[in-house]
Amino acid sequence: MFRLQGSRVLAVDLTGDTVKAKNGSMVAYEGRMAFKKTTGGGEGLRGVVTRRLTGEQMEVMEVSGQGTCFFADRASEINLVSLRGEKMYVEASNLLCTDGGVRTGTSFTGLRGGASGNGLFTTTLEGTGQAAIMSDGPAVVLRVTPQYPLSVDPGAYVAHQGNLRQSFQSGVTFRTLLGEGGGEAFQIRFEGDGLVYVQPSERNTVGGDV
Amino acid sequence: MPFREINSKMVEAVVSPGQRMFSQRGAMLAYRGEVSFTPNLAGGQGGLMSMIGRRAAGEDTPLMTVEGSGTVLFGHGGHHVQVIELTGDTLYVEADRLLAFDGTLRQGTVFLGSQGGVMGMVRGQVSGQGLFTTSLQGQGAVAVMAHGGVIRLPITPDRPVHVDPQAYVAHHGDVRNKLSTALGWRDMVGRGSGEAFQLELSGSGAVYVQASEEKL
Repeated sequence: MFRLQGSRVLAVDLTGDTVKAKNGSMVAYEGRMAFKKTTGGGEGLRGVVTRRLTGEQMEVMEVSGQGTCFFADRASEINLVSLRGEKMYVEASNLLCTDGGVRTGTSFTGLRGGASGNGLFTTTLEGTGQAAIMSDGPAVVLRVTPQYPLSVDPGAYVAHQGNLRQSFQSGVTFRTLLGEGGGEAFQIRFEGDGLVYVQPSERNTVGGDV
Repeated sequence: MPFREINSKMVEAVVSPGQRMFSQRGAMLAYRGEVSFTPNLAGGQGGLMSMIGRRAAGEDTPLMTVEGSGTVLFGHGGHHVQVIELTGDTLYVEADRLLAFDGTLRQGTVFLGSQGGVMGMVRGQVSGQGLFTTSLQGQGAVAVMAHGGVIRLPITPDRPVHVDPQAYVAHHGDVRNKLSTALGWRDMVGRGSGEAFQLELSGSGAVYVQASEEKL
C-alpha cells in the first residue's frame, strides 16, 4: 500500500510482500526489512541482457518485510500511479518504486530518446498495482484526446500511459542553423487517447541547446 | 511560539526586549523594527570553555545574536525549514543544520563516543556527523534546515525506527541510537543494495528525516 508523506516522501506499508525500489532510496523504516539488490531490474536473465544492451539500466533493490518503509530521492516530487492492466512508459531514472503486481520491461522509443537525452529505449510498466514516479518539481498530468494532440518538450517529458502514438517533430529552420534558435527546436508529439506527465523543469537535452 | 512558518523555506521570528535569539550568521532575510545583529564569537552560549570545546569539536558554526524588538525573517540557501518545539527535552542536531533557536535553550556539545563507545564514533564517521554533535535543551523552539521536506517519525519502545544515515536530520527525546549493519557478501562484491548502514533508534521520542540523501 503506497502513501505519500508530504509530496517528497513515499511511505509503503508492507505485510510480508515485496516491492521493487530504486537502489539506495530508503530513508527510514519501522519494523523488519530486508534489502536485496537485483540485477537487470529484477527481470531475470533476459532483463540483464536487454538492459545492458539498451543502456536503459536500472539499479533496483527488492525490499521485503513487515512494517513501514519510507523512500525518497534527492528531494524529487513523487507522483502515485495506479495501474489496472494498462501499460505505462517511464524513464528508468524517474522510477522510484513499484509494487509486486507491476512488471517492468524495456521498449524502443525511436528518435525521441536521442533528443530527450534519455537514450533510445525506455522502461515499461505493466500489470495491476501501484507505482511511484519522480519528477523535478510537481508534475502536471495532461490529457490527450484524438481532437487535441499534445506537443511536449523532450526535456520536460516524464512518463505517459494509454493508447498514444508518439512522433518526433522539429522546428529547425535556417535561423536555428545560424545559432538564433529559440531553444525549442524539437518536440515530442502525442496523438491518440491517454495521459502525459510533464515536469516543470527541463533536463539538459541536445534539442534544448539549439 | 516565537517562530512562524511563512512558507516551507522561511520562518518569521518575533524578538522582544530581553529575549535573545541565536541564528546562523547571514541567515537574516529581512526585518521590521529595531533589531540588532551581533556576531557571536563564542559560537553560541556559555563562556570561554564552551567556545573552546566547540572549536575543538568542529561544531563551531558561526552564529549571531539577535536582540531588540521587532520581527525577523530567516532562511538560508533555499533549504526547507522545519520548526521543532521543545518542552524540556533534548534535541540532537548537527550545528550546520541550525538556522535559528531561542536564547532560552541550553546549548551543548555531545561526544558521540559517550553514546555507545567505539561504535558511537564509527557511527559518527559513517553518517558524516563527525565525532561530535550539538544538543539543545529546555523550553523553546528551534528552526532546523534540511534538503527537501522533513517528516517526523515517532519512536516508541516497541517500535524502533531505522534511518538512512545520510537522510537523518535530528532527533529528540530519550533515544538510544546505534549503527546497525546489514553487510553481506553482496556488498563485498560490489552488488550491495546501497543500504548497508542504518541508524537504529530506539526508546521514546521522535526522529526527523529529510526527503533526500544529500548533505546540506
